[in-house]
Amino acid sequence: MALADYQQDMETCCRCSACKFITLENVKGVENSYICPSIARYNFHGYSGGGRMGIGIALLEKELDYSDKLLEVVYNCQMCGGCDVSCKYAMDMEVFEPISEVRIACVENGKTLPVFDNMMEGFRRDGRLVPAAGTRSKNWFDGRKTKDFRQQKVDVIFHVGCRTSADPSLWKVPQSSLALMQKAGINVGIAGVEEQCCGGRAYYLGYKADFLKQAEYNMKQFTQSGARTLVTGCAECYQAFRVLYDRFGFKGNLEVLHTTEFFARLIREGKITPSKKINLNVTYHDPCYLGRLGEPWIHWKGKQIPGQIRLFDPPREFRRGSYGVYAPPRELLKSLPGLTLTEMERTREYAWCCGAGGGVKESNPDFAAWTADIRLKEAEASGAEALVTACPGCENSFTSALKGRKSSIQIYDIVELLARSTL
Amino acid sequence: MTLNKSQYAAFEDIVGQENISSDPVILYSYAWRSGLLAGATKFTPRFEAIILPASTGEVQAIVRLCNKFKLQFKASSTGWGSYSDVSGPGVVRIDLRRMNKIIEINEKNMYAVVQPYVIGAQLQAELMKRGLNCNMCGAGSNCSALPIAAHQGIGHMSQSASYGERNLLAVEWVTPEGEIVRLGSLGSSSEWFCGDGPGPSLRGIIRGNVVPLGGLGVFTAAAAKIYHWPGPASLPLDGMSPRYSPAYYPENFYIGFYSFSSMDALDEAQRLVGESEIAFQLMGFNAAMAASNIATSNEEDVKMFQEFSKYVKGPSFMISLAGNSDRDFDYKMKILAQIIEKTGGQLIPHILDDPKVASGCLWRYIRSTGSIREVFRVSGCFGGEVGQTDVFRLMADYISVSGKNKVDLINRGLAYNDGFSPFTQSFEHGHYGHGELLIRYMPNPATFRTLTQEFIKQANETAIRDHFGVPGHVFGDTSHDLYGPHVSNYHIWLRRIKKAFDPNGVSEASHYITGKE
Amino acid sequence: MINKAELAEIVGTDNAIFEGPLLKEYSKDMSFAHPVKPACVLKPKNAEEVSRIINLARETLTPLVPVSSGQPHFRGDVIPGTGGAVIVDLSDMKRIIHIDRKNRVVMFEPGVNFGGLASAIAGKGLRLNMPLLPRRSKSVVGSLLEREPVLMPKYHWDISDPLACTEVIFGTGEQFRTGAAAGSGTLEEQWAAGGAQKEAAGPSASSWYRLIQGSQGTMGIVTWASARCELMPSLEEPFFVGSSHLEKLLEAVHWLLRLRLVNECLVLNNTNLALIMAANSHQKYSRTKEDLPPWILFFNIAAYDFLPGERIKGQTEDMRELAQRLGIDPVKALSGITAERFLKLIQHPSDEPCWKMNYKGGCHDIFFLTIFDKLPNLIQTMYSAAAAADYPGTDLGIYLQPIVQGVNCHCEFNLFYNYQDPAEANNIRDLSISATKKLLSQGAFFSRPYGECTSLIMNRDAATVNALKKVKAIVDPLNIMNPGKLCF
Repeated sequence: MALADYQQDMETCCRCSACKFITLENVKGVENSYICPSIARYNFHGYSGGGRMGIGIALLEKELDYSDKLLEVVYNCQMCGGCDVSCKYAMDMEVFEPISEVRIACVENGKTLPVFDNMMEGFRRDGRLVPAAGTRSKNWFDGRKTKDFRQQKVDVIFHVGCRTSADPSLWKVPQSSLALMQKAGINVGIAGVEEQCCGGRAYYLGYKADFLKQAEYNMKQFTQSGARTLVTGCAECYQAFRVLYDRFGFKGNLEVLHTTEFFARLIREGKITPSKKINLNVTYHDPCYLGRLGEPWIHWKGKQIPGQIRLFDPPREFRRGSYGVYAPPRELLKSLPGLTLTEMERTREYAWCCGAGGGVKESNPDFAAWTADIRLKEAEASGAEALVTACPGCENSFTSALKGRKSSIQIYDIVELLARSTL
Repeated sequence: MTLNKSQYAAFEDIVGQENISSDPVILYSYAWRSGLLAGATKFTPRFEAIILPASTGEVQAIVRLCNKFKLQFKASSTGWGSYSDVSGPGVVRIDLRRMNKIIEINEKNMYAVVQPYVIGAQLQAELMKRGLNCNMCGAGSNCSALPIAAHQGIGHMSQSASYGERNLLAVEWVTPEGEIVRLGSLGSSSEWFCGDGPGPSLRGIIRGNVVPLGGLGVFTAAAAKIYHWPGPASLPLDGMSPRYSPAYYPENFYIGFYSFSSMDALDEAQRLVGESEIAFQLMGFNAAMAASNIATSNEEDVKMFQEFSKYVKGPSFMISLAGNSDRDFDYKMKILAQIIEKTGGQLIPHILDDPKVASGCLWRYIRSTGSIREVFRVSGCFGGEVGQTDVFRLMADYISVSGKNKVDLINRGLAYNDGFSPFTQSFEHGHYGHGELLIRYMPNPATFRTLTQEFIKQANETAIRDHFGVPGHVFGDTSHDLYGPHVSNYHIWLRRIKKAFDPNGVSEASHYITGKE
Repeated sequence: MINKAELAEIVGTDNAIFEGPLLKEYSKDMSFAHPVKPACVLKPKNAEEVSRIINLARETLTPLVPVSSGQPHFRGDVIPGTGGAVIVDLSDMKRIIHIDRKNRVVMFEPGVNFGGLASAIAGKGLRLNMPLLPRRSKSVVGSLLEREPVLMPKYHWDISDPLACTEVIFGTGEQFRTGAAAGSGTLEEQWAAGGAQKEAAGPSASSWYRLIQGSQGTMGIVTWASARCELMPSLEEPFFVGSSHLEKLLEAVHWLLRLRLVNECLVLNNTNLALIMAANSHQKYSRTKEDLPPWILFFNIAAYDFLPGERIKGQTEDMRELAQRLGIDPVKALSGITAERFLKLIQHPSDEPCWKMNYKGGCHDIFFLTIFDKLPNLIQTMYSAAAAADYPGTDLGIYLQPIVQGVNCHCEFNLFYNYQDPAEANNIRDLSISATKKLLSQGAFFSRPYGECTSLIMNRDAATVNALKKVKAIVDPLNIMNPGKLCF
């Protein structure tokens, strides 16, 4: 698909501004009523989902070109999908997809931000979006017994993701995951230093061709391994493998699970049993790419039926964020003895973004921090002692934002707590 | 007149560099046309810049500069309707997004004071925590909560919670000349509880059945009457978007759809319901709107509409009851049953048999989230006819006549075929009524032309010839000049107001009335 | 100078009075407004005559003062503000034009008083939301245009209620109909179509009726008005609550109105209730007042056609639960006054010229709008001002009328005095001014300014005055309509 394929979707925008807010049925007050960090921060309508529809149409109609301002607006967006969910509460139209296609169009027209071009240079060279400095000398899996799925037969591939691999402060998470899997007797393998980026973020930065190439490479590796299941603890990687790879025909029969799904399953099967008390009142942050954007892709090929109502042949189902991974993390948390889960006001399909996505952390760290700060306030207001999430990007974003403020709230990955209770 | 660099800099000095833009990227995001009566062009006429003030003082400074530079201005809040758009260049648009605070909620004296970008959902949610509620604009809780922002300000709760014209208390108004007039008690004693006086009420200048749609300065804050809410402080929801329903059916609430053999029967029922003061909401929704409200996709909508149509044999209404106590609720239910029996109403089966569906519907009508689905999901666009506010039967008759004209549009393939039943509503316990005809269509020039020329022409002829008053669609010079001579020359008086308060013609009035001779 | 013959030709010689005691009657009233003798008094019979009068007045820049109520007048608004004025007395325009039961609306001319209107609409099961004991000669149109507070806050959705539409002849000489009455079509055509001249707002984006209300005749002359009506109850259950704690009563008022439990709802102090019940008997007044608590809340629970008994029973039980929660004790009688008797009394206009004159002959009212929270302090301020002027606090009448469904409250202080005693009158006058100043400074909102305090009140809000002058310039550019009133 290209931007032009979404023209009718974009032109279905009626300008209602619902995309700025969480699904209105859920509004509990003035505080925590917005879904879109971009409009909340930058205020001009152009930064909202609806505003981006107008911009997309203007591009197609050649009313706009790829100016610096366009790039600024386009890339000051965490690609969180919140606008898409809010719009589709009422409407049958795509919002997130055309927003993504605008980025792709920017890149195809040779227009992007230098910071991303630099990242992509490294990506094309090393197969990683996050420069893996130090990975050759020190790695998260050092000292651990691991299998290389490219050389040994495994049932499960554990994909860590380049963000986690490159950040020692995050290593406790994959280390915990691996330990849990091994405790459960899972025949799991990793790619170690040869692990390459899923390519998901490259796609959502607009580098579609690069993504497709990367996906092809990765799937070849996975397929050759014979593993039936891939598990990852990174929400972006999850979304890439589960949704994008499926969308572009790469995934095949590979079962893709997030660690929360996988461990929830293992707990149900009795293969791991959290038994140590975690006396903590936590709140859970739904990562965008695990939650609303983690919803399985719906394959559809058809066309709009001419007429006075938007109907399609064959009938078209819209992804509305309803079927993301929301329950397993909660199930998992509830299985930890002593732990209390207190929800924030914005959860699940209408959760506020951590701020890091869409390249914002790299291109506009202030905006990313501003966004994370709002979520931290919301977490604090819930009364919870800890904010738990299931994505290294989110953890990183919150941890960075905490540095700038006085707060006693702790940040955990869900797997850390599971490991604490189980191992 | 276009905006030059030094003028831009002057505006920038007021709001800061971050809050003004004349970049085409930003302007085009605003210029994407509204879904209301789409089909002519994709983008609205060009304007000079968009400015985001944060305070009344900044609004005043902007307006004064516009007067000085001989530029026009037009302010909007969420900017949904096409009346937020401008007629051409030389206009600075003011987006009131940054003025988004609830200034005060006075529970004891039952009013709330809001800035323009507080949306209905936000205000209602805050009020519900306090056992209070507000009328919600029928277009949706995504719209401004200011009772002088929406076109008319009628909503689903108007039966028990009236509408914008009558819920408006004190107002802070930046006039087109850049004066700040604080109406009523606000001007005299800095209190928001009254919008009238001393002496005559300036509320009469700033709105009637309809608001000035950006053509008479900027309303920067206003107080709205609020009402008792007998429901829970917050209603937990089950399900995921788009299919939410309350975790429980709130106590002492009821919702039902009833159809009647004729408009006479429905009219009698609504009259009795009004006189007995039992209803929380009374909306004459037809089968198509009920289906669109409940369905979560167009596919589902089409099926539901076909299903509901089998059961709806005549004009229908949705009624909800809310009891302030068990006794109150029981009484209201009994009376409703008596009225329905007396008027031959039929509870429409299947629509609300499932309590989850019923409670979901109830909540959607209270929170007013269904309108986008009802009106825009089909095609992203609608037109139609909007009556004024007057006695119920008159408004119902007017809109029924318009409904017949819709048949022709459907037969010519210019509109979505969802029947031609209009919807009506009752408010202030039947003292008034209102009617609208929804015409949904895929945006295209042919339908647009037919609607704006033929259909509206018929609607105008009907209204004038058959004495149905001045419908809500009447705004702009041409329409006012058409109706005025038949309606006490009101257009002359309205124009005099415009000239008196905007002698320089600075407040862009393409959707109000200009001061032209 | 306006031509007498032309005036007489318009209204008929019998209806044009140029000399005699009648002129003196119109030159003053019970207020402290400076007496100014009018040049003549005209009594038109219809809108056409009114229109001709206005157009003639425009030619000669003759001030016109519209009057629709009979004597006594209290506010000074119908005393000419300048010499050479013509009184346009509409009291002979007494038609009840149209009653519409279905749409609950009645249309009538300015000379119709409350008694006349009430009997006409009662036959259709309708009633008007009325002020407290309007005098016999009070014009309903006059009352509506003055925005007088009404007894049933539940049915007072907007401060303008129950006024609906009007026909007005502006100071420009142009006739205009406000609201739904504007058209299209004649009234008869509108009725035939199902119209009822009920919607007050509009037409379109302005609501001229709001500008005519509160204008004290400075915009134009209203030749008919329509008013929304409520239904006659089939069952009623009135109650009193006596207390020395006003705050408790106000809390009760808030909830009774918020839950829409009651129709009539008002608070009086013992002075006023005793005066109302005692009619002309000073002895009875003293005795009654002695027995009464300082404050009395009155409210009435009513039911209509459907299961009235059940409605009354249920609402009474709900009310009792509320009362228990608030710690108040609603009773059916207080100090020998039954709630039923009081209800019957206030559901009709006053039999007598005016109950306020019974005590000492004269009464000067200070009234304003405020909110519940502010009332106790404002009342205290009034008592302090009275004490400072040696006005006995025990003589002060207080009437609190919640309005607009409880959003605000009309607060009225009645200063009873012997108007024939110049010293006493002067004292009251001075007290009125000093009290108004103090009340203003504490946030009392004088939405309906009259008499000598008008400029004091209007000057607080220069922006509104400026805007009102623009309106005035639209409808009465020659300033012939009651000049000297308000800020004009």
